[in-house]
Amino acid sequence: MLPKNHGNATDLTSSVPVRSRAVWRRLLFSEHFVLYLSVLYFLAVWPFAPRLASPRNLLDIFSNMLPLLSVAIGQTFVLVTAGIDLSVTSIIALSSVFGASVMTSDGGLLSGSILAVPAGIAVMLATGVAIGLLNGTAIARLRMPPFMVTLTTMMFFSGFAVWLTGSQKISGLPRAFVGLGVGSVGFIPYPFLIAAVLATAAHVTLSQTVVGRWIYAIGHNARAARVSGVRVNRTVVFAYAASGFCAAVASVLYTARLETGDPVLGQRILLDIIAAVVIGGTSLFGGKGKVLWTVFGVLFITLIDNSLIMLEFSHFTIMIVKGAVILFAALMDALRNRLLAAQ
Amino acid sequence: MTTRKGNIVLFVLNNAPLILFAAVFGGFATLSPKFLAVENLVNILIQSASIGIVATGMTFVLLTAGIDLSVGSIMFLSAAAAGKLIAGGQPISLAFAVAIAIGVGYGAINAFFITRLKILPFIVTLSTQFAGRGLSLLITQTRAMNLPRLVEVGSSKILGMPAPVWLFGAVVVFAHVVLMKTAFGRHIYAIGNDAEGAKKAGINTTRVVFLVYVVSGLCAAMGGLVYLSRLGLVSPKLGLQREFAAIAAAVLGGTSLFGGRGKVLPGTFLGAALIQTVESGLVFIKASEYVYPLVTSFVIFFAVFVDSLRHVKLQQLKRRRIRVAATG
Repeated sequence: MLPKNHGNATDLTSSVPVRSRAVWRRLLFSEHFVLYLSVLYFLAVWPFAPRLASPRNLLDIFSNMLPLLSVAIGQTFVLVTAGIDLSVTSIIALSSVFGASVMTSDGGLLSGSILAVPAGIAVMLATGVAIGLLNGTAIARLRMPPFMVTLTTMMFFSGFAVWLTGSQKISGLPRAFVGLGVGSVGFIPYPFLIAAVLATAAHVTLSQTVVGRWIYAIGHNARAARVSGVRVNRTVVFAYAASGFCAAVASVLYTARLETGDPVLGQRILLDIIAAVVIGGTSLFGGKGKVLWTVFGVLFITLIDNSLIMLEFSHFTIMIVKGAVILFAALMDALRNRLLAAQ
Repeated sequence: MTTRKGNIVLFVLNNAPLILFAAVFGGFATLSPKFLAVENLVNILIQSASIGIVATGMTFVLLTAGIDLSVGSIMFLSAAAAGKLIAGGQPISLAFAVAIAIGVGYGAINAFFITRLKILPFIVTLSTQFAGRGLSLLITQTRAMNLPRLVEVGSSKILGMPAPVWLFGAVVVFAHVVLMKTAFGRHIYAIGNDAEGAKKAGINTTRVVFLVYVVSGLCAAMGGLVYLSRLGLVSPKLGLQREFAAIAAAVLGGTSLFGGRGKVLPGTFLGAALIQTVESGLVFIKASEYVYPLVTSFVIFFAVFVDSLRHVKLQQLKRRRIRVAATG
């Protein structure tokens, strides 16, 4: 239990411990907490894996972060409305397949045309938005539970992607598209630019616009929001469409980097995405969350993955440690909230 | 007149799982008359036993408005441990006992983090899912294990019915009695409806929620063993994403994800059987394997859709009654 007010005596005689305690408290209660946790983790692991801090590996961490970050940003929108979107991985896969089948040089719809790349990207983004609209409509208008809606659309569309391709990968993507994954403007790689624009737009939408405020209002209390004139249905549909769009952007980044359209792309990262957003501090019960927090959460998850590979752990050990670390982060968060409530 | 029509609609919506089940069954039977052969029906029951038992445990968790994402890993871990012991020459009974103990212990770990350290069930069971799968892969060294000796156990018959079907039936009936007839069962519903109120009414909510996750762990371990003894095989993909199938079975049977509403019998039992009927039916009519997830997910989506229609309809009926009372 923390004392509620410090006596004068302690303040005069032991100003140093009090000050350090204040620093600790500021660190613990700061909204950058997960960032500090990441830095702490980085410093703790560094001595055991010196390669962790090599410029090349740092660049690796950042480029691994970007696609995950863009899906996680969309997920943040949905979680703030007190929903959940499990279909994002199927959106990544189906977008990848659709986009690739438009662009591929062996038998693509627009192979060789100048329009191939822009049309391909447009198809990918449209796929994401369409599935998002479908999810949002089922949830808002038909009043179906988000978990079940997005679970079934996840099963359906990942099954669809595999069925369409006969579980074959699609290669032969145009160079201009692949360039999106590796090219850069000056020093800034394209993926970084894309993710930064997306993050900024999402941040502004959530914090500065009416729609953003409506999203928080719905997450806090949907009925109260409806009574006070919030267009609940439209806003919920918007949140899921945004999530679909962000997942499609992630699909563009992944597909460009892997240079193939892959029907099982992203299948393994579903729980990473949700874990990243929640570790960042966004609540599963809605009403609380920020894009910035999600950035930190994604950084944390990516860092753990990368460091465990750097430490040359086996695949199994990585899974065990990752589970433990997610639990630890959640425990810290629970402790933090309890201390905050006690204050 | 409108109320009678309303009643018919409500009757249909209330019994939607049953009607859907009959429709799916009838559909496959007309496509292929042999589908109704007793042998095939028993087969469906055998195949749905594993996920049905897991879904029964999941129902307990969902009733308290919780969730258990780790059941797939519990299935894998208990089956892997049992498989390892049997392959090492230990008696089957010992191996099964160890597997059950693992399930209970695993559930207790989940429960400890959820009830004592107050971390969200979603996050706790998500992380133990990772950890449990990692541990199981470590035990099996990601190699598949073949245990033909076990298939004899799995296909042994008692009074003409295969052992897995007996176990499935026993688990479902026992769970039903616990939920309907005991104080523990009533406490589970009370917590799911209003956790705060249940606590104020003097229910030891911590203990009840703790036990619920232990039950889920126990059921998941049994489900893993049933799976193991049916196929005699431990593969690295055992139990992968089965948590979703278990949740879908429970929800198909009318269990709410928000707690307080749902039954094991007929609900979850029917849900598990429905999912398996769809898959077996597709095998029966020789559909392409790629089509399975498309049809299964569509059926689940439809069932959830009907359930929410029912919810909306019920609310409309309630609203009308209040208005009549106010004016008259």
